[in-house]
Amino acid sequence: MNTATGIIKALNSGIKHLAIKRFTLRYPEEKLKFVGDGYQFDPSTGVGIAGYKGRHMLFHDHCTGCQLCSIACEGVAEAIAMVKVPEEYKHNKKAIMPQIDYGKCVFCGLCVDACPFYALYMTNDYELSSFSKEGLIYTPAQLQVKPFVSQDSEIKITDRGATHG
Amino acid sequence: MTKELLPGLALQKVDERIMTLNVGPQHPGSGHMRIIVQIDGDFIVACDPDPGYVHRGEEKMAEYRNYITNIPHLERPVIHDSCNVLYPYVLGVEELLGIEVPERAKYIRVIASELNRCVYTMYWLAIYGIFLGHSTMFMWPAGDRELLIDLLEKMTGARVTHAHFVPGGVRNDLPPNFEDVCLRQVNYFEKRIKEYAAIFYDNPILIARTANTGVLSREDAIRLGTTGSVLRASGVDYDLRKKEPYDVYEELDFQTNVLKEGDSYARSKIPWLDMMESCRIIRHALQKMPKSGSVRVKLKPNPKGKGLNSVYKRVESGRGSLGCYIVSDGKPEPYRVKLSVPSFRNLIALPYLLKGEKLGNMPSVYWSLNYWPVEADR
Repeated sequence: MNTATGIIKALNSGIKHLAIKRFTLRYPEEKLKFVGDGYQFDPSTGVGIAGYKGRHMLFHDHCTGCQLCSIACEGVAEAIAMVKVPEEYKHNKKAIMPQIDYGKCVFCGLCVDACPFYALYMTNDYELSSFSKEGLIYTPAQLQVKPFVSQDSEIKITDRGATHG
Repeated sequence: MTKELLPGLALQKVDERIMTLNVGPQHPGSGHMRIIVQIDGDFIVACDPDPGYVHRGEEKMAEYRNYITNIPHLERPVIHDSCNVLYPYVLGVEELLGIEVPERAKYIRVIASELNRCVYTMYWLAIYGIFLGHSTMFMWPAGDRELLIDLLEKMTGARVTHAHFVPGGVRNDLPPNFEDVCLRQVNYFEKRIKEYAAIFYDNPILIARTANTGVLSREDAIRLGTTGSVLRASGVDYDLRKKEPYDVYEELDFQTNVLKEGDSYARSKIPWLDMMESCRIIRHALQKMPKSGSVRVKLKPNPKGKGLNSVYKRVESGRGSLGCYIVSDGKPEPYRVKLSVPSFRNLIALPYLLKGEKLGNMPSVYWSLNYWPVEADR
């Protein structure tokens, strides 16, 4: 192939894309949809359930204050601290629950794997930015709240290229 | 007693014609490293790569963490290729602890690591494009990479640093309906990367820029101990997926790509050809994968190695052969973890390649070595 045809072919291959819809996710307006409600773990089988590893969710009625999540995090990020909570549940004798510092968390999900009581899961929420360092520390009461997410955009593939529809 | 000085700080004999130039460590072209180049006019006389600016002590950190909590930080050296970086460690720990991995988990691992190889290569290709001033080639791979990142996100739950492989299998099973989505997006991805031929790889301007620059002969490539795409671009057919098949690679149908030229162009073309092979591997693996079954062996909470024992495992990563040497002394923590990384091996070839080249060719030759500074420093 000589130089002229090569250059024309290269230009042509780029110009074709003027007519094709752009493959761009317009982020704050549209958000990608994830599988499921976030990463979960089933201690009875020892296998996780696929999902996005975002902000955690703590089920107060399951948590026994056993500290296994905190111990698992010690070798990773030291993001989980056990804090005092009002005595409400009989199974949580020490009345302690995890408090997670998202300034340190790396979202590996090993704390979810460590929990034998179905108490700690992850959710699809990833918008955790805060103006202060203290704002990144989520108390057990904040972790209890189920996040509101509106993620509905998916990759669609047609003959004329892929788009975020 | 002579005092040892860091390279670049040592006093040198002044030559009127030779100028020393520091490229990096804060240069968009060099990454987190410095290349000390001595130039005579426009031609490079000598070159001294100076890595080590992003040393993070991964190997020492691994001695204080147990076999499971080592996973998140050992994949940090190359976050785009995190499954492949973790692969030899996981294979090694499995041998140390004597774990048998379920068949389905092996296939999931192969799919994840091939997707990861493509994601890494697309990122690398985007940077290679911008190094050559080809901004379309920066935008296209960076965009098309999203297709595979989306698949990995569905599989593992994270865009990068997946922490998906564990000794004994993978963390979670594939999500429902994954096979169809994967097949559709991988097929489209393959169609897209074939379009790169016209605009980039067959582009006469690119060929004029990169062909016959930084030629590494077959003998030199073997002598210097290079691996991966650098070695295969110099005409040596060496791919660990073929030579030392791990997990289920020996059951899958693919071939290795070898080019004879050994120049910057050939080195940049090999990863692109490898991506098409990766698409073939993914399709074949999806077809052959057992449709159901366990994906993870249940381990004891704090697994221990059996006595004084050591293991060395290596895999073919996006950059070349990546090895992991683990010594266990019967405690929950490994006694020593040593990563033998392809980036550092390929960097050794840089001074030989740049001698006599023009300074303008330096970025393309440097990046064609498939070098990742953070991985080389560990």
